[in-house]
Amino acid sequence: MISIKILVVGLAALVLVMAIELVRRERLTFKYASGWILAAVVSIFLAIFEQFLFKISQWLGFQLASNFVFFTLLSVFVFLGLVMTIFLCQQDSRNDAMAQKIGILEFELKKMKDQLKSQGKSDAKHPE
Amino acid sequence: MDTKKILVIIPAYNEAGNIKKTIDEILALKSAVDILVVNDGSKDGTAQEAGRTPVAVISLPFNLGVGGAVQTGFQFALQNHYDVAVQVDGDNQHDVSFLPALLSPVLQNGSDIAIGSRFIQPFLGYRSSLIRRVGIHFFAHLISFLTQYSISDPTSGFRAYNRRAIQAFAADYPHDFPEPEAIVTAKRLGLKVVEVPVQMRKRMAGNSSIRYLNTLYYMIKVTFAILLNMIKKRKVMEA
Repeated sequence: MISIKILVVGLAALVLVMAIELVRRERLTFKYASGWILAAVVSIFLAIFEQFLFKISQWLGFQLASNFVFFTLLSVFVFLGLVMTIFLCQQDSRNDAMAQKIGILEFELKKMKDQLKSQGKSDAKHPE
Repeated sequence: MDTKKILVIIPAYNEAGNIKKTIDEILALKSAVDILVVNDGSKDGTAQEAGRTPVAVISLPFNLGVGGAVQTGFQFALQNHYDVAVQVDGDNQHDVSFLPALLSPVLQNGSDIAIGSRFIQPFLGYRSSLIRRVGIHFFAHLISFLTQYSISDPTSGFRAYNRRAIQAFAADYPHDFPEPEAIVTAKRLGLKVVEVPVQMRKRMAGNSSIRYLNTLYYMIKVTFAILLNMIKKRKVMEA
């Protein structure tokens, strides 16, 4: 029992440290790290104070605490998958909008450059 | 044709073999229209071919799908104060001699969108393969049932739009297989849509984007998109 406790606390602590370190290195924003930090903290708490885990699982009607843990993990991953898909779609729409803006801006820039070039040529032909 | 500012939008993806012919045909009409080719991240020489002609070419950094390319055209039309936009596909399947007929309801009859249809009398030219016709009729019935507006050619990309429609679609236009869904959007926005008989031709070069397994995806995606569009929050159009 102790060894499982150590394993869970160790794994959760690793996730916690990694999430904090990634935020520190600016490879992850706090907005996206917060979920991982919260999950790690809750895991550490429930591993240390296991009586809470048993009480919650009993209260929710699970016969075994392990069933509750698996169910929670599965739910979290399904939810996470959905959130990630929403995020991906948002980024996709933003990418498309940016591509459209870049296309139009590039065209306008080329037009302006061509106009300046032809203006320069006519100025050279007809100096004041 | 009219004193109104008209922009012909040609979305093109890998249409190097067709694009110049399409542009030349429009230029040969000698109509007072501006032409914009939206090169949708083509991997062939579409942009170069279009660049050899005296038309505007916008090259998107990557492929967005026909809807994304057309929407770029709408945004360009809106920014540059065009009164009317016409969509002509870059595969040279649309017979552009029908451009005046397509523009007429938008310029004169107060319609917001005119759709070139292969399936209203008099039946002219090529009317697609049997399997595609089955799909087209399925969407026609679905849209007619849902919007109470009878449409015969919902997949036709030969369309004219007035300023109101340009404004609506510059802000929101489906990117994948947009044509049938755009009709539903237009009807929900209260835009007046009419159909005009036009002629289309068989593709002479290049390949359609809707082939093989993609056909099945197309049918499922468009059906879902139409159904979901009906339950989306209704947008309000500015007068």
